[in-house]
Amino acid sequence: MKILVLNCGSSSIKYKLFEMESKEVVAQGGIEKIGMKGSFLKLTLPDGQKVMLEGEILEHRAGIEYILGVLLSEKYGCIKSLDEIEAVGHRVVHGGERFNKSVLINEEVIQMLNECIELAPLHNPPNLKGIYAIQELMPKTPQVGVFDTAFHQTMPDYAYMYGIPYVLYEKYGIRRYGFHGTSHRYVSKRACDFLGLPFEEQRIITAHIGNGGSVTAIKNGHSIDTSMGMTPVEGLIMGTRCGDLDPGVISYIMEKEHMGTKGISTLLNKFSGVLGISGISSDMREIEAGIREDNKRAILAMKTYNYRIKKYVGSYAAALGGVDILVFTGGVGENQAVTRKEVCQDMAFMGIELDEELNASVRATEVVISKPSSKVKVVIIPTDEELTIARDTVQILKEF
Amino acid sequence: MSEMIIEPINKYGLTISAENRHKPLFSKIGVVGAGKEGRNIINMTSTAGMEVVFLDESLERIEFVMGELEKVMNQKITGWGLTQSEKKVIMNRITPTLEYEDFAGCDLVIECTRYTESGRRSTPLRKNIFKKLEEILDEDAIIATNGSTIIISELASELEHKERCVSLYFPVSHPDARILEIVSGMYTSEEVYQKMEIFARLINYKPHRINESNGNVSLRMVATMLNEACQILLERVTSLEDIEETFTIIYGQRYGIFRLADIIGIERLVTLMEAMFNDFGEKHYKPNPLLWKLYRSNQLGVRTGKGFYVYDENGEPLSPNKSLYN
Repeated sequence: MKILVLNCGSSSIKYKLFEMESKEVVAQGGIEKIGMKGSFLKLTLPDGQKVMLEGEILEHRAGIEYILGVLLSEKYGCIKSLDEIEAVGHRVVHGGERFNKSVLINEEVIQMLNECIELAPLHNPPNLKGIYAIQELMPKTPQVGVFDTAFHQTMPDYAYMYGIPYVLYEKYGIRRYGFHGTSHRYVSKRACDFLGLPFEEQRIITAHIGNGGSVTAIKNGHSIDTSMGMTPVEGLIMGTRCGDLDPGVISYIMEKEHMGTKGISTLLNKFSGVLGISGISSDMREIEAGIREDNKRAILAMKTYNYRIKKYVGSYAAALGGVDILVFTGGVGENQAVTRKEVCQDMAFMGIELDEELNASVRATEVVISKPSSKVKVVIIPTDEELTIARDTVQILKEF
Repeated sequence: MSEMIIEPINKYGLTISAENRHKPLFSKIGVVGAGKEGRNIINMTSTAGMEVVFLDESLERIEFVMGELEKVMNQKITGWGLTQSEKKVIMNRITPTLEYEDFAGCDLVIECTRYTESGRRSTPLRKNIFKKLEEILDEDAIIATNGSTIIISELASELEHKERCVSLYFPVSHPDARILEIVSGMYTSEEVYQKMEIFARLINYKPHRINESNGNVSLRMVATMLNEACQILLERVTSLEDIEETFTIIYGQRYGIFRLADIIGIERLVTLMEAMFNDFGEKHYKPNPLLWKLYRSNQLGVRTGKGFYVYDENGEPLSPNKSLYN
């Protein structure tokens, strides 16, 4: 059984084709720069060979058509007919309060997704474009929506409410929703399986940190708090997003720099965070290179980045009433030893004792990096959002 | 591991490949005249990934223009976080030239000439440029002018392929004013208009369709408001500062109307208002004496350092221009 997983961003589409029986990825790649100059489809063949297909891709529909064309092609493909694809699973960013789990996509769901656009004007429209494209190109194939926000729908109201007039929540749905739910769900569950502990009885903190990032507190299998809010700007300092910020600063910058809402949004989303502080890059590898050259702002960016994660771990330990497992995942969480080290430093008082030597030597693999004496098990679990989406898709197909 | 295989994508489409096997739109574009607006267009298009050829009249001018383009990018680096490597890539897309022949292969050339950095425009000169461009460009290449007065039908009239001409107006009031007014003239074909909509989206502008009319929409609205504001000032109903605050505070605009006039350029507004007065015959379009005063004394706004305000070298207002009341 083959399942195609699509992740449509504003100017990109990532795809993976899974053979579910063997859990094997039979094809994968991505399109970038949709609607811009220099758009391309990059794919990795099973033997590791990378292929770049260049050309004009003005919109998502064309992008998806090319993806299907490549999958069908003799040269780079792996299927003979689109009918071989049993179902398509979509990553959908914002499900608002309407979706607390993955759903089979039908007209009613599409209508509801349209109603969620206001909450995620940048993210949901491309997700919908992907759904429409598949409807058109593969009309008989069932589609499943897997939401970034769904896992966090178990947050209690006092955790998701902002301290602003309640009427704004009623009017516009302004509250904290959280993102990366698919990843937090996968790694927390996987960590328990890996450690041989019952998921339903653990207090877990998952740190999904990469270019975007969030920390989630999971109690007895349910998300009870997470660092991202109504939009993905809240919480951690990210590659280019500012994270938590005094709201007074926003109006102050707008006034001083004569900025409109769009300008300030760009500033906080694209020019802030690690890039903004360091002035070098949003890529932590370049920051590490800067640190080796003793660049002061690179050092500051790294410290600020790590410190914010540590603060969230501490506060979620309080929210959970203690921690059993701390999970690191995401590009940085899986690969950057120094961040894991700084987050766990001086945390023995709450039972976190990192095996620093082991921590420094491992990356992107499932491994326990705390000392045997550590009360809290600190683990690295590489995330696999696409596999989770594919599994959810199969699950939903079975239900119908 | 062998190196990455690179090949064109178009043969992998299911339905779109057959009709789409042409070169990608707007891979190379041209700009004639790199004054302030020309440079703005060069900057936006090269940032959006297009190869840009620009023509100016001398090597000194070219050097100046390249310096100015770099300055804008450096400002972005300090203020907004454009990276050095991005700047390098963008600057590499920009090719200066003194020869029209170098526009060969462009699928769009935008004319933005002015006599001088501060200056006014000449219709015969622009017609001549359109003709030269037609000689060099492919039949389906688009020739555009950057402007807000009725001109495109006139500029197109002597060309063989008149349908390829279109007029564009990039609002200059502030960096977030990302609406592109695309003006169809009498001859402009729907196909050309549609292509310009794609162009607008590629540079992240929202296209607005305008039927040829002096001042388009954005400037026509400002013109009458500005005239009224000048008259209020002349009648000494209140001070310049208070009129500005009425605009910014009561009507929630980013800048006051006089500051806006200085940003847009007094010469542009006066020329436009004269044209509108001639076209429509309505007195309220006739430039107010205050505007004429500034225009005749070459106090044309931010770009000459003086207009309704006096500006520092960074274009920031220092004080209202007192000489206006003498």
